[in-house]
Amino acid sequence: MSVNAMASESSDVLVEIRDLVIGIQRTRKDRLLIVESANFDIRRAEILGLVGESGSGKTMVCRSLIGTLKRRSASIFAGTIKFDGMDLAKLEERQWRSVRGSRIGYVPQSALTGANPVMTVGKQLGEAIRRNRKRKEKDVRRRVMELLELVHIRRPEVVYDQYPHQLSGGMRQRVMIAAAITQDPDIVVADEPTTGLDVTVQAEIMKLLKEIRSELKMSVILVSHDLALIDEVCDRLVVMHAGTCVEVGSVSAVARTPLHPYTIALNRSRIDISTPGAPLITIKGNPPAVGEWPAGCRFSDRCDFVQQDCTVGRNPVLVEVRPNHWSACLHAERLGGTSE
Amino acid sequence: MTITGAGTADWFDVKGTVPTPKNAKRLKDGTIGLITGLFLLVALLVLGIVVPLLSPFEVEISIDTPFLPPSGTYWFGTDGLGRDVFLRVFSAVYLDLGVALIGVLIPFCLGTIVGIGLAVSRSKTLNAVAGSIIDGINAFPLLVLAIALIALLGPGLQSVVVALSVTNWARYARLARTRALVVKQQGYIEATQTLGYSKPRTLFKHLVPNVSSETTAYALSDLILVILLIAGLSFLGLGAQPPTPEWGAMISDGRPNFQVAWWPVIFPGLALCWAGVSLSFIAEGLTRRERDVKS
Amino acid sequence: MSDALIEVRDVSVTFGSGSRAVRAVRQVSLHIEKGEAVGIVGESGSGKSTLARVLAGLQRPNSGEVRFAGESIYQRGKAYRGENRRLVQMVFQDPYGSLNPRITALSAVSEAVRVHGVGSRKDAIAKSLELLGRMGISERDAGKKPRQLSGGQRQRVSVARALSAQPSVLLADEPTSAIDQSAQAQLLNLFRGLLDGGLSIALVSHDLGVIRYLTQRVYVMKDGEFVESGLTVEVFDNPQQEYTKQLIASIPGRELHKALS
Repeated sequence: MSVNAMASESSDVLVEIRDLVIGIQRTRKDRLLIVESANFDIRRAEILGLVGESGSGKTMVCRSLIGTLKRRSASIFAGTIKFDGMDLAKLEERQWRSVRGSRIGYVPQSALTGANPVMTVGKQLGEAIRRNRKRKEKDVRRRVMELLELVHIRRPEVVYDQYPHQLSGGMRQRVMIAAAITQDPDIVVADEPTTGLDVTVQAEIMKLLKEIRSELKMSVILVSHDLALIDEVCDRLVVMHAGTCVEVGSVSAVARTPLHPYTIALNRSRIDISTPGAPLITIKGNPPAVGEWPAGCRFSDRCDFVQQDCTVGRNPVLVEVRPNHWSACLHAERLGGTSE
Repeated sequence: MTITGAGTADWFDVKGTVPTPKNAKRLKDGTIGLITGLFLLVALLVLGIVVPLLSPFEVEISIDTPFLPPSGTYWFGTDGLGRDVFLRVFSAVYLDLGVALIGVLIPFCLGTIVGIGLAVSRSKTLNAVAGSIIDGINAFPLLVLAIALIALLGPGLQSVVVALSVTNWARYARLARTRALVVKQQGYIEATQTLGYSKPRTLFKHLVPNVSSETTAYALSDLILVILLIAGLSFLGLGAQPPTPEWGAMISDGRPNFQVAWWPVIFPGLALCWAGVSLSFIAEGLTRRERDVKS
Repeated sequence: MSDALIEVRDVSVTFGSGSRAVRAVRQVSLHIEKGEAVGIVGESGSGKSTLARVLAGLQRPNSGEVRFAGESIYQRGKAYRGENRRLVQMVFQDPYGSLNPRITALSAVSEAVRVHGVGSRKDAIAKSLELLGRMGISERDAGKKPRQLSGGQRQRVSVARALSAQPSVLLADEPTSAIDQSAQAQLLNLFRGLLDGGLSIALVSHDLGVIRYLTQRVYVMKDGEFVESGLTVEVFDNPQQEYTKQLIASIPGRELHKALS
């Protein structure tokens, strides 16, 4: 890779998350850490995948990006989230109001709880549009229609006057995406947006997210526990395990040469549609529970490649093993050739 | 992208994995509240036994001048008939709590059984009829219905218990039925069917415990309400009759002379609060534990 | 008539009546052979879960017949009489609701073991621990209540409980839909082992990957009807119906698989 390409890439960085520590302050002295080391960039107009098992801290990282950690009584203890000259990690609730929604949009996990059940789709979207500046009623309606068409809702004039419960799950999620992009944000955070939806609907939603990226030039963060899904729609991915980012890189690089044993194990445990019947290689044991992380590398007691130095000292940090491909494995270099 | 790991260092060196201090966990799971509540309740119950036993005075007989203020001899003073308020307040403990307990237990058992029975039964007519009776009773405020019934039965603590049983069971029945219908849909109940468990086993081992935990939680908070209700009815002259020592009746007795002597009113009131606070601590503690079981 | 273990003929299930009637399952026929894994794939609202409940004896069909080992299971009174009841077991979709929250994994399984004939308490516990062990639940985890177990662990406890009846058919309704990928792999491997041991499995799922991985034959269900059926390999490689094609095209990660192979 040329030096020029590197330079242009780094100027594309929209958000820089460094050494982020998130947890719950239970008493004055007792902190339960949920995310201990989140490190990654979000680049302009990319779809960034965030994969991990439940309890890996991926949802908490998302919440830190839209400033809703407090609602889960969690908070950021250390680290920075640099975004457009601001540090989101230190933002006050008052300041969040000008960021959340207008600069960073959010698509909730369940479209059913995300929408207000007693307001029509048109009213809800209109409210989101009017939030920051005053607009004429006619303009608002036009913009809502525009948005509904943008997310490919057929017959928007009908949907405009419908209530969320009258829509199918897929339609509802489209409305939620429309709501997330009303203010032309730079980033859309989508936390498992297709959980509980059918595969065909999921495929449509993914197509929509891709369009948002390529046509509206927004960055999308897609959270999922489904590696296959991430592989298909994302440009780069971040793999999280036990509150740590263990691997960051482009989807193709991670698929070809995964540099962390956890990613390798995840890849092996997934069903390969092209060769059915091949035994699935499972990951030993269970993911460590929050607050019960082992010393050293948190994957060490489930890892097939574990060495003596893996189980002592600190949790290893991400290292750029190859250009633009980071791994938190102490022995990442040696893993280089062991993919697929 | 440069990664320093500096942010994580100071956390990691100090703590490894974060230990959970016992007291924080206990506060959260309700143990501390439960212990405090039980301590307060036991103290009240012990005083309820010890004070009447050791007191040199008589509960229902005048022993001195009326309206003597609290002093070394009469700790809570004397009431309008010259009786020792201290003795009377603690003599009432078992009456007040006992009547309330019976007044909760009967509707609790009745309602839970009826509610579960309705949820389990397939008869639509039975469900329609019983459902409208339950809704009908619940439509009235408890106090109004209870007063009306006592008016029919004549005043007295027995009437209070009867009135409570007749009216309050419907609340438990509604709660139990709703809960049982939810539990019935759960996989573990369906599994008892495919596993071929007997009906009684399914009912008593799997359905009832998961329903009654809900009604029990309600019963505990209801107990506080019923204690107040009984005192309230007695205050209105519908419950305990003089000279029986009962907190509500005592407050009612002392009320006309409150300007002159506050003690015959305030001390029974405080006892009432004592009972209420200790029970609400216990209820809150148990609810938190139950939440722990579920989540 | 073939020697199919389960045979379903023209089964229909209708909920409600009159203008509000919903025909969840319409004139469906299928069969499950001994030792075979059959998939029923469909999206939400396709009626696949209702069909699974019909097979489990939990939902009486409005018309049609369900036979198990040649005997009609919905006769008067309850479904699956006598010995047959034990032979068809089910694993439910929601790992949070499929276990009684008040009892430990071990007591849930040992209760089933005892009901199905192992006499003494001690033997039942030993048998249960062995079953749980086979499902990858350690002795330590066996003593935990459901809330302390992960979704995948709960599902495996449910499977252990179902196996305690020594069934010949295991019905699984979306067993992997609410659990992590690595837990899903564990569960599917266990199912594969059970198939090798001669158990028949009917897998109901919306996840085509899971269906493809485990089953030999598949029925594709849409709006209460089967739109396509056949050998899983053939249906996946050469789908005949537009709907099936659409379903298969929606599986994530396929492009990558192609690129790599």
